[in-house]
Formats: sequence, C-alpha cells, structure tokens
Amino acid sequence: MQWLWDQPLSWMNAAWFTLGALCVLGIVIFFVTYAIYFERKIIGWMQFRKGPNRVGPFGLLQTVADVAKLLLKEDTIPAKADKALFIMAPALAFIPSFAALAIIPYGMNLQFADVNVGFLYYVALSGVTTIAIVTAGWASNNKYALLGGMRSAAQMISYEVPLVISVVGVAMMTGSLNLREIVLAQEGYFWNWNFLPQIIGFVVFLVSALAELNRTPFDLPEAESELVAGYHTEYSGFRFAFFMLAEYVYLYAIACLTTILFLGGWNPPLPQLAFIPGIVWFILKFLAVVFFVFWVRATFPRLRVDQLMGLAWKALLPLAMLNIFITAAGIHWFGWGG
Amino acid sequence: MIRTEELLLNVGPQHPSTHGVLRVVVKLDGEIITHVEPVIGYLHRGTEKLAESLNYTQIIPYTDRMDYLSAMTNNYVLCYAVEKMMGIEVPERAEFLRLIVMELQRIASHLVWWGTYLLDIGALSPFLFAFNDRERILQLFNELCGARLTYNYMRVGGVKWDAPEGWIDKVKAFVKDMKSRLDEYHNLVSGNEIFLARVKGIGAYDAETAIQYGLSGANLRCTGVKWDLRKNEPYCIYDRFDFDIPVGQNGDCYDRYYVRTEEIRQSLRILEQALEQFPPEGETMGKVPRAIRPPAGEVYVRIESPRGEIGCYIVSKGKAEPYRLKFRRPSFVNLQILPKLLVGESMTNLVTILGGIDIVLGEVDC
Amino acid sequence: MIGMMKGLGVTLKTLGTRKSTYKYPDEPIVMPDRFRGIQHFDPDKCIVCFQCARICPTQCITMSGKPNPDPEKKGRVIDTYDINFEICILCDLCTEVCPTEAIVMTNNFELAAYSRDELFKDRVWLQENNTNVRKDNNNIGAPKGGAK
Repeated sequence: MQWLWDQPLSWMNAAWFTLGALCVLGIVIFFVTYAIYFERKIIGWMQFRKGPNRVGPFGLLQTVADVAKLLLKEDTIPAKADKALFIMAPALAFIPSFAALAIIPYGMNLQFADVNVGFLYYVALSGVTTIAIVTAGWASNNKYALLGGMRSAAQMISYEVPLVISVVGVAMMTGSLNLREIVLAQEGYFWNWNFLPQIIGFVVFLVSALAELNRTPFDLPEAESELVAGYHTEYSGFRFAFFMLAEYVYLYAIACLTTILFLGGWNPPLPQLAFIPGIVWFILKFLAVVFFVFWVRATFPRLRVDQLMGLAWKALLPLAMLNIFITAAGIHWFGWGG
Repeated sequence: MIRTEELLLNVGPQHPSTHGVLRVVVKLDGEIITHVEPVIGYLHRGTEKLAESLNYTQIIPYTDRMDYLSAMTNNYVLCYAVEKMMGIEVPERAEFLRLIVMELQRIASHLVWWGTYLLDIGALSPFLFAFNDRERILQLFNELCGARLTYNYMRVGGVKWDAPEGWIDKVKAFVKDMKSRLDEYHNLVSGNEIFLARVKGIGAYDAETAIQYGLSGANLRCTGVKWDLRKNEPYCIYDRFDFDIPVGQNGDCYDRYYVRTEEIRQSLRILEQALEQFPPEGETMGKVPRAIRPPAGEVYVRIESPRGEIGCYIVSKGKAEPYRLKFRRPSFVNLQILPKLLVGESMTNLVTILGGIDIVLGEVDC
Repeated sequence: MIGMMKGLGVTLKTLGTRKSTYKYPDEPIVMPDRFRGIQHFDPDKCIVCFQCARICPTQCITMSGKPNPDPEKKGRVIDTYDINFEICILCDLCTEVCPTEAIVMTNNFELAAYSRDELFKDRVWLQENNTNVRKDNNNIGAPKGGAK
C-alpha cells in the first residue's frame, strides 16, 4: 500500500483507500464472527458441552443468525437517557477500534500504513474507546451502567500505563516503534523472538492486555453477577452489536500486537521453515494468542475492583519498570537487540 | 459547589446473583455499601397456611417446593415429626433408603452451591462441572422416585418406593467417581489465587455473633463451632456411621467454602458405609394406621439440611390436618446476618457474601 | 500461580473429554419407568370413588359420575374427568390412591402449550394419552383395603 501514500490524494486513490478499508472490514467481521463461534465452542468443550451446533453445519452460522437477530431488533432508547450521547457511544467505541487496525503488518509487504510510531498510534486510539464506554454508562441513565462505566474508566486508564511501559523494552531493543521494524528485528530462530529476553515485559503485556480488553479475569465493567451487564445494560439491537464488535476487534488487534511485538510476527520459528509463507505463521501465532484468551476465560474467576487497581499499580507497573532496567542493562553489557 | 450523593441501588428481584427473587436495597457511597435492606416475600406461597387444610400426606409435595434444592431433607423433617407424634416405627430398609437419599441430596445441593457461587465470583466452568455431576444424582433420584427435583419420596412410616434393581450399585459407582471428581474441583478452583483473594477474609464473623443470629449449618460451622445435628442429636440412623464435622476457624467466605466442599467428602464417607451395610431385603413401609391422625399435642423436630437446621413444629388437635404447622427454615434465619455483613463492603463483595450464605429463596419465603 | 496453572490444566483436559449434552429435541429422552409424567386415564376401570380428587394436594382434578347406563349393573360410571395441568404438580398421589389403577402415570412430559386453556385436559385427551404408560404402579402408600 505504500505507493498509494506517496501519491497525491485523487478521487481514484480515495476509492482505493475505501476499497482497502472495506476489505479489512470484511476480514475483521469474518474474524469476529468466527472468534465468537470458536469462543463459544472452546468454552463449551471445556465445560462438557458441545457449544453452538444448531444453525448451519456444526453451528457455523450461529453468529450470523445472532447478528441478524440483533439487527432486526427494535431499537430502544430509554426514555430518560441522554439521547445524543446514547446514540453516539456505540459508534465512538467501534470507530477507534477499527482505525487502530490500520497499522498492523501481517507480512513483510502486507500492511495498510507503515507508521513510525505504530504502537503509540494504537495506544492513543484505543484510549478513545474508554470515553465511549464511560459515555455509554453515563448516557444510559442506569445505575448499573454507570457503575460499569466508572469501573471501566478506572480500569482501562490504569492498565494502559503498564501496557505501554511493558512495550518500552521491546522498543529499546529494536530502537523503533515501527511495528514492521520490530518484527524484522526478531528474525532468525525462535529464541530471537522478544518473548524470551523480554519475558517480564511479555507477561505484563499479556495481563494488561487482558485487562484492556475487559476480558476475564478483568471483565469487571460488565461483570454480570454484580452489575447485570455493566455499561451496556440498556443497549440492545444493533447498538449492542457495535459494542460487541468493538470488543472483538480489540481482541483481534491485541492478538496481532502480541504476535508482532513478542512472538516474532510472520517469522517462522526456525529459518529452515521459511518455505511456509509468513502469513501462515502469523495466523498460527495469532490464533494461539486468541485461544489463550478464551482458555483463561473458561478457567478464571473475576478479580475485585480494589484488587484490580492494586495489581496494576503495585505489581504490574513496578515489574514493567524493572523490565526497562533489565533491558537497558542487557543492551549495555550483553549487547542485546540491534 | 460539588455535592456528592448516596446511590440507592435495587439489587434484584431480577438480578442474576440474588439466587431467585431476593431484593436487596443498598445505599452506595461510590462502590461502598452504607446501608442494606433485604426485601423478601416475592416467592411466598403460604405453605404453612395451606398445610392447615391438607392432610399430612398431602403436605409432603408442598415441602418439596420449599427448599427445592434439598427436597429430600424437607420430606424427611415432616415425616419425622409425624412419626414422632404417632410413635411409628420405620423399618430398617426404609431408614437406610432415607439416609442414602438425604446424603445424595446434600451432595447435590452443595454442588449447586459450589457451581453458582463460583459463577457469582465470575468463573464460568465450575457451574457446568458441578451440574454435570449433579445430573447423575438427579438421574438416580429419577430412577428411584420418578422425579428429578420434587421427589415426594418419603411417606409417614417409610418411603414410597423401594430401590429398583441395580440402583444401589449405581450409587456405589457414583460415590466412587465423585471422590476423584471432587479432587478435580479443587484443582480447578480451590488453589486459584484470584479465587482465594476474592474469598479470604471476606464477610467474617465470630462464633458468638453466629450463635446470636441463630445461624446454622456451614454458616455456623465456619466459625469453629462443631454443631451438626447428625452428630449432636442423631436422627434417622446417623449414629451408626463414622464421619467428621468439618469446621473452619475464621468464619469468612473461604471457610464456608471449605466447610461445604469438605461436607461433600464426609457425605461420601457416610454413603460408602451405608451402602456397605444396606440390608438386602426388608419392608420399606412401617405399620401406619389407615388415616394419619396424630394425637392431640405438639412436637418439634429438627434435622440438618444442607443449608442448616431445618425444624418442623406441628400442633395437632387429633385431626387428619395439622392445627398449625411451622417450618424453621435455615435459609430464612441465615439471611438475617446479611445486612450486618454487608455494611462497609463493596458492591463486588455483596455478591461474594450473599452467595456464601447459601440461601434458597423458596425456603426463605416458604 | 501454581493454582492458576492447575485450573488451566483441568479445563484443557476437559476440552477433549466426552460431552454430556443431551440431543434432546432431536432424540427423545427416555425416562426411567417410575417417571411421573402426564396421567393416563382409563374410564372403564374407574369406579368413581373420588379418592384421587380428594387426595390431590392442589385440587386440580374435577370429576363427576352418573348412574350406570346398563340397567343390569349397579354403581356409577364416570361422566366427566378433567385435570387442570396449570396447577397439577405431578406428585403421583392420585395414582397412589387409585384402587383400580384407572388413573396411572405415563412417561410423557411434554406439556408446553401456547394457551393456558390447552392445559385443561379432559377425559378424552387423558384416555388417548396412552403411550409409555408406567408399568410399576406401586401403591405402597395407599390406604389398605380400598375398593377391590
């Protein structure tokens, strides 16, 4: 796509951009459809159940049917809700999640935008979704939604700090925030991937990422046993679908980022296996991360709010800081990284 | 000027974690609870009043619906009270069947508690693990008395059905499997650091408070009081078996969890012995007069249900219907301590503590 | 951390185990013989003794008799017999007291209906509900010495 960026914006180029975006949207929606399907299948299998198996062969069309149902539902807005904000929130949640995908490189030349501060761009955009969730919680005029929204604000802001700092080590080793260069720096055998020298950073990143995604064990904003459905208690139909979509698009983004930052992106684990295209390796690693997220969801209970904050500020943040020092020492004395 | 207000929140009666139709009106300061008021009665059916116009056999199906997770012990407490008034001898085999179904019921009830409690805490899988094994118990009950939840199994003077062929062996097989399943439960949950952080030290009270509030069952034993009617006031044939009363020390949610899971193990122990000694043949119905008319007078009996001490008080005027029937329902009594425990806790702990008390709303409202 | 790992191990192990889902609507669930399902009523056996209506804890059985149309025979025969399944709790007491096994349980349990009226089942419907009739109608708790 790089040649497009270098040309002046014409109608033709704008059409190309739109077409590209629509392609990514198609891929993402396909992913979300089947991520939900596999999440339900895997969690079902882990609980002696079969998971969805009624709609289509093996239940493959279950999510399609669910989405169709959501789209056909009556669009309800609570009488005393703040109408403008209530309508705006789902869009505000989804747009940044989708825009954040622009910077993800799936292969050497398979990337939308090669941004020099790729990771920062992602963090900046994902922060916007927090606002959307607070807005949704506030605008619903529902106490559970409000509590969920406030929790989510506290949680996502707290965890963004260790999330960013845990990646500093990677950035230091690569000397760049450009995602493509980060992957290129991890070429070679699998022990060259960042997850080994950056093991602390990797763990901190994974935990904070789970919290960023609002997924178990950090699913407090929508903790159904306490807050009914959290910030989207009052949402139904396609507005609810947008929140759901945003959530899974972030799952997609975080799984991609984990692959890129720590698992070597499209690099094969052994250079001898390079005959298999890089995109296959990328997808395999990506799916492993997604599976891990589902697996954790099937196993763990939920943290409490105060413990959640404590974990972020008292455990993850110092660990991430420590990681920076270790990385600095590694670069200085052992010649890690480039 | 900035002004803060308390948030009045209605938790329930349609809230996912109130285990039925309990409504808890809480005042929140941020997420901290400052005032609690449980509102009950949404499931009130007037069982005790209805019973006054029903004869004793007809009341038995109504007791099924009080504590619907433990219908067998409810059946038993009513039959036991009437038998005590009339001085009816229950045959040996019937007593064994009663004991076996009551202990199976205790396991089934604790399994439901275990699963739903962890669901409250946010873990999804334990619920289905527990229900998967409870299903086997329900199948056994279904084979025995033709229903999965409302058994209507016991009768004054005995039990309605003898064990079908091969049933005892099936129970034996279940008891054997359940032991290893219980270890797996512990692997899945009990060591999980998140779970421990959620329950340890939460909702603690001491033995004195527990007794003052009239708590019973695991809610009492978690404070270290060794009080189990199966041991302290043996009924049925519990005095013939060897088992321990698990107790906690701190009286917190973790101890209640520990006591209940350990009770499953003890129930399995009782079952093992009972199945070993099960009489190969015999009557399942004692000599009962055609019309059950207890002599004028009153009686109070109490037994250990999975939730605590369930009592039955009958005043008879010598008629086929009781003059007054009163159930001491453990869930109702145990629920009293809720407002005391919740003040100062967060919204999240509300769910942890309420779940830890193990109430069944059918029994609270009766 | 060890506790969490153990938990992850348990769920991973369960991933491959046999599933316990019933194929219910596709394959009917076979209930054990003693299962207490919807009653089957046999008017020919009924002697109109009203025991079932009297023992019913929810008073869901309404019945009436009429003189035997055959003048040679004495006694009464059943005229109407209705069970209101809105309030029937399938407690088995009616079949327990029936001296002639005119009313017996079946293993059928599917009662869902769109309207409450449909749950009011009359004599004809109950008579036609004659599949999966329970074989063992152990009337152990029944009053001894009822009409033979």
